Amino acid sequence: MNAVLPLELRRVTHWFGSHRVLRDVDLHVESGEIVALMGANGAGKTTLINVVLGLISPQRGERCLAGAPAGELSRVHRAAIGWVAHSPQLYPRLDARENLELFVRLRAAAGARSAPIDEVLVRMGLTHEHDQPVATFSRGMLQRLALARALCSVPELLVLDEPFTALDREGRQQLSRILNDERTRGAGILLATHDAEVASMLADRVLRLHGGSIVAQVSRSELTGTHDEGFRARVMELWTN
Amino acid sequence: MSLVGRDKTSSMGPLPRQAWLLVLHDLRQELREREIVSTTVFFTLVVLVMFGLSFASLGTALHPLIAPGLLWLCVMFVGSMTLTRIFDREREADTLRALLVAPVERLAIYLAKATVTLLVLLACMALLVPGLVVLFPGASALATNPSTTIALVVLGCLGYVAVGTLFAAGLATGSGKHVLLAVVLYPVTSPVLLFALVATRALLEHHPRVMTYLGQMAAVDVLLLVLGAWLFEPVLVGVGRARVP
Repeated sequence: MNAVLPLELRRVTHWFGSHRVLRDVDLHVESGEIVALMGANGAGKTTLINVVLGLISPQRGERCLAGAPAGELSRVHRAAIGWVAHSPQLYPRLDARENLELFVRLRAAAGARSAPIDEVLVRMGLTHEHDQPVATFSRGMLQRLALARALCSVPELLVLDEPFTALDREGRQQLSRILNDERTRGAGILLATHDAEVASMLADRVLRLHGGSIVAQVSRSELTGTHDEGFRARVMELWTN
Repeated sequence: MSLVGRDKTSSMGPLPRQAWLLVLHDLRQELREREIVSTTVFFTLVVLVMFGLSFASLGTALHPLIAPGLLWLCVMFVGSMTLTRIFDREREADTLRALLVAPVERLAIYLAKATVTLLVLLACMALLVPGLVVLFPGASALATNPSTTIALVVLGCLGYVAVGTLFAAGLATGSGKHVLLAVVLYPVTSPVLLFALVATRALLEHHPRVMTYLGQMAAVDVLLLVLGAWLFEPVLVGVGRARVP
């Protein structure tokens, strides 16, 4: 039984002071789909992600997880979510393994199971660096380790904020493969990006956020029978208009 | 040292287990960095020497008036330095948000940060109190009543960290507000420290109501801990729940 999927936000509105950062946003993420959230800086992507993660409770609208309204995210909800933030959020004085172990043990204390750390390190290509202090890692390695931490939780919902930033070509291909694998496993993925190429390549649905509102969206399933190139063109159109 | 395979906490419930893991985690970082302990211990020794040079030559009759102020002034500054640094570590790498998104009890974060701060304070007090006894013979009651002194120091420091952790966490969640910590912390922790100051003076003057004061301090500590634990989550994650304009 799912803990958080389907994720649904209904008419979510939020202010910071007198500035409205989200306006009547509807969002829906199902198992086994990748939803890309595109928007320029300041469009409200990170705030929307914070609402999804429970770091912000929307001032208007509703957040529903697994079909039930969720005012606050419980420990069970949070155990089912993997998150990769724009900053890697890792402890620089610990090594890669220690960073993962901390969260795996905190999860275990909460009764949540995690993937074996060694497996995840292999999957992320970090086996040789597992005992290196994180402070010595490059930006790309930090990003991979942050993703490794998210994957340790075998997430039902994977939320990623600009995960392709700082990754080289090989790293981008590896991340794309992993996201596709996670989708195949049945995870729902919410991906915030301002890279239209990434969105068109990976996503099942692409939403464009502008000024705190979803102003347009395109779904791969709407274009059944058309070539991938058709979807890519629609995403590019969505981004440039 | 690997955390996995050293789990001695499996018989505990989620809250104490997570709090314990976070305490070990903070101590591990401190062992590698030694930033907080070295700063606070050095500060304590400097304060002790400076006050010793300034006031030790005064008559022993005045020592019971001086020593309590020195003791709790030191707690105030060491506590402020420790709380600032402990939450700055989380701020610098934005790791506090990673903990908030993980299935971690918010109360475990509060208990862990409060415990580590308390340990640092007690380590400094382990230097300061004997130093006071040596430099200020009029404060020898601190040595002749060790159990009362320990209870006094622990209760005073506990009250301080119960309030201090709450405010340090609140300021750590905002950006650029940590400079306000000292400004906010000193007034809100003053009542607890004044209480401890009065109790310390009563101990040094062999006042018969010392144990009553300690009992009252313990009651205040329980109240502050309950209040801190109750308010910690809203303070930590309630930032987004601002009023709709």
